[in-house]
Amino acid sequence: MRQIRILTQVARETFSGMKRSGWSNWLVIGILAMALTIFGGILQLTMTLKNVVDSWGSQLEISAYLKDGYEARMVAKRLSQLPNISLVEIVPKDVAWQDMQSRFRVASLKNPLPDTLHVRLMRADAVESTANAIRKVNGVEHVRYPLKVANSINRFRHFLEIAGLVLTASLTAATLIVIGNTIHLVIQARHREIEILSLMGVSPWYIRSPLVLQGALYGSLSALLAILNLGAVRLYFDSFLREQLVGFMPLFSQNLEYGMQPTFFALLVLGIVVGAGGSAWTSGRYIKI
Amino acid sequence: MIRLQNVNKDYVGRPALANINLQIGLGEFAFLVGPSGAGKSTLMRLLYREEVPTSGKVLIGGVDITRLEPRQIPLLRRRLGIVFQDYKLLPRQTVFENVSYILRALGVEGDQVIRRVTSALCVVNLEDKADAYPDELSGGEQQRVGIARAIVNGPPVLLADEPTGNLDPQTSLEIVQLLERISQRGTTVLISTHDQFIVNSLRRRVVSLKGGQLISDVDSGVYEMEARA
Repeated sequence: MRQIRILTQVARETFSGMKRSGWSNWLVIGILAMALTIFGGILQLTMTLKNVVDSWGSQLEISAYLKDGYEARMVAKRLSQLPNISLVEIVPKDVAWQDMQSRFRVASLKNPLPDTLHVRLMRADAVESTANAIRKVNGVEHVRYPLKVANSINRFRHFLEIAGLVLTASLTAATLIVIGNTIHLVIQARHREIEILSLMGVSPWYIRSPLVLQGALYGSLSALLAILNLGAVRLYFDSFLREQLVGFMPLFSQNLEYGMQPTFFALLVLGIVVGAGGSAWTSGRYIKI
Repeated sequence: MIRLQNVNKDYVGRPALANINLQIGLGEFAFLVGPSGAGKSTLMRLLYREEVPTSGKVLIGGVDITRLEPRQIPLLRRRLGIVFQDYKLLPRQTVFENVSYILRALGVEGDQVIRRVTSALCVVNLEDKADAYPDELSGGEQQRVGIARAIVNGPPVLLADEPTGNLDPQTSLEIVQLLERISQRGTTVLISTHDQFIVNSLRRRVVSLKGGQLISDVDSGVYEMEARA
């Protein structure tokens, strides 16, 4: 009960502190909301591109040619048990030969083609390792796969991951700096009050808690504003984007799936954690008892 | 209740207090006097752990406060009532809120807060000013709020650092008499001052400092002119 009274008091102190800060609260929230909107937009773009690239990777195909005398179905079963494989399609040599004959004028020879397995992967970066694993499977004579394409996709994917990481780190640092400086200003403005509270025997955590809560509130309100901004952008530009992309890049637009919930969740968590963390760090640094 | 043993305090090689030995008993009332720069405020700051001595021990209620961990300092300060020359009131809070702040921060129940604050305001005769803000009060009234805040938690020791420094002689005397009444209820009271008028009016124990040294400690004493020189 006593703890509840203390927490209620801390909450009151927080709101009274924010009330005193007046319009500057909205300035801070506005700046943070802008930073988080940019962050959310970039995060969403990075994730969407990563999805697209991943889907390209899943369309890569490894062809495994089988030795004579091996049951294609049995080899296919063994391959499907390997990791990172999403689909194994059997192309019997008779079907392949008929297909070839229908497309090209070929002499009437005995069918020289082997049974073939077309293997679809889950990830582009697994092409090489999976091809090596397939090569070792009993009954597989030869393996072909689009290594250059896979490498290009992997490089692009890697670039997106690094870019996302760098941008996340930069914007987190920027948010921390804004929150930290704001709380530092609050501490400076209230330094006399803080000194009085300290001399009265008020615990440091009690003095710091309203500032930490204030930071968390700044972070969460900014995140909500950023979510509204991004939601509005999606609402107005989604159909336009899709129409444009269908004309220019049909494959890209097919894979342009971008649920925004993870981004919204990331923004809210980042806002609260960075807001509270930045305030805690600043108040710990500048409020000495 | 308060005991200093061989206390020295240096500021960048300059001695502010030199080999101070002092003992003030439970419920005792004493003045700490001396001219500006004598070391009165430094000694007071040592008592509420705003400073630590360069050497020596400072004991409050038998506990050597120089050895306290930072997290223990608030606990010490809750056992001390501190009154300041500049009152140190929270300007945006009413008299009631100022006096009740520490109780609310400690999670004391609402009814108890009202009862204890009302009682403290009664002691300083400010019951009718509970809703006033500090800037609506005279200097003497603000200092009485400071005293009410200092005693609201029932501390065994009350330290007053130049409590009359900003007040006229008549109000100063009233404030010191108020502190004397509080002492009569069993609280140890130590007042630092260089106000000869109030010290000589009360004729209580006088501890004199000069140049950082304790030069006299007299029961029913006066603030001698020589001590000020």
